[in-house]
Amino acid sequence: MFFRLVSDSFTRRPRRKLLTGAALALGMAVATAALSVSLDVGDKLAREFRALGANLVVTPQDDSLPLEIGGADYRAANAAAYLPESDLPRMKTVFWRNNILAFAPVLETSAQAWSPASKTGSSPGVAAQVSVIGTWVRHEVALADGGKFVTGIAKTNPWWQIQGRWFSEDANECVVGVNFARRNRVKPGDLVFLHGREKGKQGVAQRVTGILSTGGPEDDAIMVPLSLAQALAGKAGEYHKLYVSALTKPEDDFARRDPKTMNADEFERWSCSPYVSSIAYSIQQVLPGSEVRVIRRVAEGEGAILTRVRILLWLVTVAALLAAALAVGASSAASVLERRTEIGVMKALGAGSAKVGLLLAAEQLLLAFVGGGVGYSLGLILARILGERVFGAAPEPSFLVLVAVLALAACVTLLGSALPLRRAAQYEPAPILRGE
Amino acid sequence: MAALPNHNRAMFWRIVRRLLFAHRARLFVILLALGAGAAVTGALLNLQADAKRRLTSEFRRFGPNVLVLPMASAAENPAMLPESILRSIPLENANSKVEAASSLYTVVRISSAPSKSPVTAVLVGKTPFAFVRALDGARAAPRDVAPDSRDEYPCVVGERLRQRLQAREGTQLRLSAGESAGSCWVAGFQQRGGPEDDRIAMDLRAAQNLAGLPGLISAVELTVPGTPKQIEEYAAYLQRILPQAEVRPLRQFTEAQGKIYSRIAGLLDFTVALVLLLTSLCVMAAMANVAAERRNDVGLMKAIGGAKRRVLRLFLAEAALLGAAGGVIGAAAGIALSMYLGKAVFGLAARPRLIVYPESVALTMMVAILSAFPLRRLANVRPASVFRGES
Repeated sequence: MFFRLVSDSFTRRPRRKLLTGAALALGMAVATAALSVSLDVGDKLAREFRALGANLVVTPQDDSLPLEIGGADYRAANAAAYLPESDLPRMKTVFWRNNILAFAPVLETSAQAWSPASKTGSSPGVAAQVSVIGTWVRHEVALADGGKFVTGIAKTNPWWQIQGRWFSEDANECVVGVNFARRNRVKPGDLVFLHGREKGKQGVAQRVTGILSTGGPEDDAIMVPLSLAQALAGKAGEYHKLYVSALTKPEDDFARRDPKTMNADEFERWSCSPYVSSIAYSIQQVLPGSEVRVIRRVAEGEGAILTRVRILLWLVTVAALLAAALAVGASSAASVLERRTEIGVMKALGAGSAKVGLLLAAEQLLLAFVGGGVGYSLGLILARILGERVFGAAPEPSFLVLVAVLALAACVTLLGSALPLRRAAQYEPAPILRGE
Repeated sequence: MAALPNHNRAMFWRIVRRLLFAHRARLFVILLALGAGAAVTGALLNLQADAKRRLTSEFRRFGPNVLVLPMASAAENPAMLPESILRSIPLENANSKVEAASSLYTVVRISSAPSKSPVTAVLVGKTPFAFVRALDGARAAPRDVAPDSRDEYPCVVGERLRQRLQAREGTQLRLSAGESAGSCWVAGFQQRGGPEDDRIAMDLRAAQNLAGLPGLISAVELTVPGTPKQIEEYAAYLQRILPQAEVRPLRQFTEAQGKIYSRIAGLLDFTVALVLLLTSLCVMAAMANVAAERRNDVGLMKAIGGAKRRVLRLFLAEAALLGAAGGVIGAAAGIALSMYLGKAVFGLAARPRLIVYPESVALTMMVAILSAFPLRRLANVRPASVFRGES
């Protein structure tokens, strides 16, 4: 009889139950989406916000001090030190290798640049010494474990804008800075001849594939594949600077301590947290002769903003959960309120308050589980859309969220119906049946 | 409504009042759902407006975002700008102050007692001369070092330069550039991971005297407030009024700012839309019950001559009133909430934006009216069938 009553109430007025169920399902969908996004995407957020570019820079330890003013280095030739390119695959062997998202070696040199295109204009055919920067764009690094890692400057410096396309490393191609292009009237498709420092060598012809705009000294330079810059500078297999973009945890007071003052336990804890300083330390271990410095301006600002965005995400989650709970609670309260007459009849036929309460609670729970389940699947789709649109990463479905959502649905519907049920327990059947 | 006679209008509102208060518990429930929706809407919309402003100021942390440089010239002789160029830079953008710092870069030879051989490094003359003491990454409040009464100037040494010089705080350094020479004492160190680490910084006047370049500077660094678009516009305007210089917006940080803001705004919009949809479904569920209950009332109204439109107008007024009440209370609570939330997120209470209040009330009223849709079906009730007791 009990089950018949419960099933009857669902089949007799399906449309109305459907509306309450839909409200419940949507509420739980919102809860699911909010929870999965902040539980899962929170971790992926850091990756997305690496838009600030490299946060570590590696330079040779015994490098002389650069005398760089406005992008031009005033050091005597050959004063700089270099690091071997062959060590670079070791970057992906450090403890935090999965946090190292990209790295790009850079070798700067200067060369005589000459463009046939500029000869026709009023400017001279020979552009004076230009700075030539060699780097990787989409370079495949063969790793020790047989895998491949594709990395390059477009990943470490994502704010660089290129008009046209990047050079491919195995062709004779280059990219010119926007100021250089404007001064010398170079367009994509033109040829640029480069003469290195070594005398007597034939200049190399590079086809321009794009115009680069960075807001930095690269705007006046020519970007070429690293191997070409090495040939021009006579530094085969070497680089001067390495930009690293690593996924880090915002630094706290513990992270800022000097590792030399820590005891063994503390040191272990420090090197097992992806702080930017501990990643810098581990890179220094695998690249002999290097000095790894944290670009504080990037690392600190990013840490501060990431913390804020995370808190914001959680607050929005809490707000959405609260709204869902209130709305669902309200609608389940409303659905119990409508049952006055029914309750009156049941009590007139001899049902006790406890029995009536149990019946209604069973109904509400059934609705909560069905609605919660439907809401969960709907919420997963919502979370996918939200995650992909807003954060560029879809959250994984998690069993924990399902349990949390079902528990929330049950709690909220029961709480929402508890108040009207308590009042229903006090109803006198007679006035209700008389229609008062 | 103006066409209605006076007593009719009074009757209209009397019926609306009765409709609203007939069932107090249900009134409370509907208001709760609408109020919760309005509160979240108000809070998130206000937070969104605030996030834009906060992020703008948060991004100023990254330092200068626009550089004014001399036009590139021959590499052997770095070009200079006259110091008077500062006077032609507008120091306001987007109603906030633009911070300007001018600097002079020159190459000097530095010798100190502890290190035997002199070191060549870049000297930065800066005004205003403030620095962050950041040795070992320890951060402290910026400390202003004004040229003090001593004959020598204070200077700040980059971490990598410090290692070469083996300098300590208070160490005397002799600086020479060409024929002229001077000295300074080390007031502190800095480690920023950038070119600052290789340089020595001191007050602009002192550096100009030392380098023999009075009245000249190498660059102006501007910290321009505003959204990425406002910053670009400012830079473009500056380039127009300063044709003799090169204005370079540093896009690294402005681009990230735009990206992060659009993410946050997208998240908040999405949540507001979902919550409003949710509210309307909940209210609709309650209204479906109301509709079933009112069949008899509507049958009677129509039997005694109530036109379809007037009956609908009654329900419309009821829904709008519900929405307005829920919105007015809920949105006020929401905005108050967002001020608190703003404090939690950005460390400063969010400033309430007045436009958000009417916006959220209007949105809630719309939701209430839309979710009264089940009541529309009542308009087609046929009085005869109601009185026959058909369901």
